[in-house]
Amino acid sequence: MKFKKLWALCLASVMTLSLVACGGNAASTTPANTDAEETTTEVAAAAEETEASEEVEGIPSYTDLDLSKYTDTTASIKFIHHKTDRAEDGTMDRMVSEFNSEFPNITVEMEAVTDYAEDALLRLSTKDWGDVMFIPAVDKVDLPEYFMPFDTLDKLSEKLNFVDSWEYEGNCYGIPYMANAQGVLYNKAVFEEAGIKELPKTPTEFLEDLKLIKDNTDAIPLYTNYAAGWTMGAWDAYIGIVSNGDNTYMNQKFVHTAEPFKDPGDDTGIYNLYRILFDAVANGLIEDDYTTTDWESCKGMLNRGEIGTMVLGSWAYAQMQEAGDTPENVGYMPFPMTVGGKQYVSAGGDYNYCINVASSDENKLAALIFVKWMVEKSNWCFNEGGYTVVKGGQNPDMYAAFDGCEVMSDQPSLAGEETLLNDMNAESELSFNAGGNDKVQRIVEAAATGSETLDDIYADWTKAWNDAQAELGISADY
Amino acid sequence: MGALTKNTHRRKKRTFSEWIKSRDGQKVLVMVAFMVVPLILLAVFTYIPFGEMVNFSFYNMKYIGARKFVGLKNYAKVFSRDDCFGALKLSLYYMGGSVVQLSLALYLATLLSFKVKGGNLFKGFMFFPFLINGIAIGFIFKFFYTRGFVFDTVLQWCGFQLDNLPYWLKDRSINNISLVGTSVWRYFGQNMVLFIGAIMSVDNELYEAAMLDGANKFQQFKYIIMPSIKTIFVLNVILSISGSLSAFEPPYVITDGANGTGTYFVVMHEIAHTQQKVGLASAMAVVLLGIIFLVTIFQKLFFKYVFKDSTQ
Repeated sequence: MKFKKLWALCLASVMTLSLVACGGNAASTTPANTDAEETTTEVAAAAEETEASEEVEGIPSYTDLDLSKYTDTTASIKFIHHKTDRAEDGTMDRMVSEFNSEFPNITVEMEAVTDYAEDALLRLSTKDWGDVMFIPAVDKVDLPEYFMPFDTLDKLSEKLNFVDSWEYEGNCYGIPYMANAQGVLYNKAVFEEAGIKELPKTPTEFLEDLKLIKDNTDAIPLYTNYAAGWTMGAWDAYIGIVSNGDNTYMNQKFVHTAEPFKDPGDDTGIYNLYRILFDAVANGLIEDDYTTTDWESCKGMLNRGEIGTMVLGSWAYAQMQEAGDTPENVGYMPFPMTVGGKQYVSAGGDYNYCINVASSDENKLAALIFVKWMVEKSNWCFNEGGYTVVKGGQNPDMYAAFDGCEVMSDQPSLAGEETLLNDMNAESELSFNAGGNDKVQRIVEAAATGSETLDDIYADWTKAWNDAQAELGISADY
Repeated sequence: MGALTKNTHRRKKRTFSEWIKSRDGQKVLVMVAFMVVPLILLAVFTYIPFGEMVNFSFYNMKYIGARKFVGLKNYAKVFSRDDCFGALKLSLYYMGGSVVQLSLALYLATLLSFKVKGGNLFKGFMFFPFLINGIAIGFIFKFFYTRGFVFDTVLQWCGFQLDNLPYWLKDRSINNISLVGTSVWRYFGQNMVLFIGAIMSVDNELYEAAMLDGANKFQQFKYIIMPSIKTIFVLNVILSISGSLSAFEPPYVITDGANGTGTYFVVMHEIAHTQQKVGLASAMAVVLLGIIFLVTIFQKLFFKYVFKDSTQ
């Protein structure tokens, strides 16, 4: 009998326990909130004591933050990022240990996420993902809900370049860790062997040069990297500044354009941008079997001179140099398109640092210190071959070919229209500069198999674009 | 609580605490205690997320940000868009593949269930692909099919000329067959092992009796083995067919769904994660669930009819 009682007691306790486990989630959120409130009041009190002339939260803005005054800050922050390669080769750890020699009491825990673009979005919805991350594809309206503003755009843009891409209502929520200029990777030795004396300046010249490479060398003239997918989406980066010299096009006019894919007739515009790809494929100027291209091995192939050109942002330059024994042959040139006698280069921030708005104030401060140090003192941007983020900073030598070109960055969208491009991308499913790889892959397939002409594809895109404009009620003004 | 239960149970002349101590009460208690954990797991990880997904399918939404209720509009889109239902045509390739896969598995299982030299070794070899991770298989076959790599080299040993060989993944008339090949390679071993297990349960005396009656091997297969493994056979067919409707790994890893190889799942993934139309993708998932239900019921009826016929 006693044994039975004991047994019943055990079972009963198991059942209660499982009930408690169920309710656990709901219950734990409330104390967390009160915790946060407490710390806020504590910090506010502390701020009053030290008579710091800061905003209500007690955290200085990015430009007001004087790194040398905060060397004894104590906190433990978490940084999630997408640079798995740099985590593996120890670059990230080296930078953090350097950071810790100045700020010994800030512990930085890092996590490199492989499938960053998707994972980061999912984690973002949980709110407790850490303190510093790189902004994934969110809508601008949602920025204040997830991230802490660094500073006002006016103040920040005096000190840093490319900070307007994540601006919302005058505040900046993101600072790029490096910036990219959009050009074309090429192998100098291959160009020489093919007899190309001058870098091409128009799509037609470029296609002629690819033909020369095919005729005079064994190299693949243009490597598409079709199979990797995102490497095809990289072609979208030349829309706007590069293709028509207008830095308000991408974020302001594009969504209001009725026929963005029309041939302007002077070897410019989106039409001729993708025409390069279509004609190159149709004339056999690409790799033999595009469906089995391999991203990792293409780096060495470009380095060794087995590939003539690849259309990718400047971030790829350093990786191509590291991938073989002839880094001196890797070159970077402006995109072969001339608008009104001038070549334009689009430069813009890569992934942007951001700080979790839900973090405690100590962590926000430590995160801000960390971000400012990373941007201004880590030299990461320069080491990656990036275009300088800090105004007046040094640019790597690779940009020598860009002399004489006009470097611009895309202007932010107009007030009240911040989400239009994202909405159009989603509705039309063309996803320009937002992972729309399959639409560019389609060009390769069509050109290779002859299933569609370039005009068929553009007609289809125009229809999707106009339908989306109608669905979202966006006026076609241009 | 004690007082309350006393009142309500007074009529039965047994209090709650008395009832719980009785044999019936203990039985119920034990059943509930054992079931509570798996049921909670099932609900938390299957039914609640599924309910959420059905709920999502009525909204125009992204993962984050505002949601807008749109009723059945997403479902209307699933049926009106070319790419959603067009992708289902590719399932025919995978269904064809599953027929090959099951016949191969059944044939080899029958052979291996009799005494064969090195039988266990063969079983091991043929089951092995199933143990490899699907993503790894994808990468293996990406290089396997690359021009001039493994497959082409092996075929050249057999006397083929490279120029006469097709591009296994580029040529649209065969690239889906290439992909189906990888899935057959991966799963037929598993089907075979299941079949062997079922065939093992057949009483050996039945074969002896059949032999005495003069039945040959094929007749033994038809009248002894087939009817005995009916249940496991039907199960395997249903799993393969619903598996071919939801094929994902080979096209996703090997070709990224490009070049006309995007199956329904790959298209769904693209819509959910690249285009961020979570509502539409959820609706696609619900529609696919409906299709799989229908197909399964149809198969059940079909086999019921066919097997009744053959066993008589």
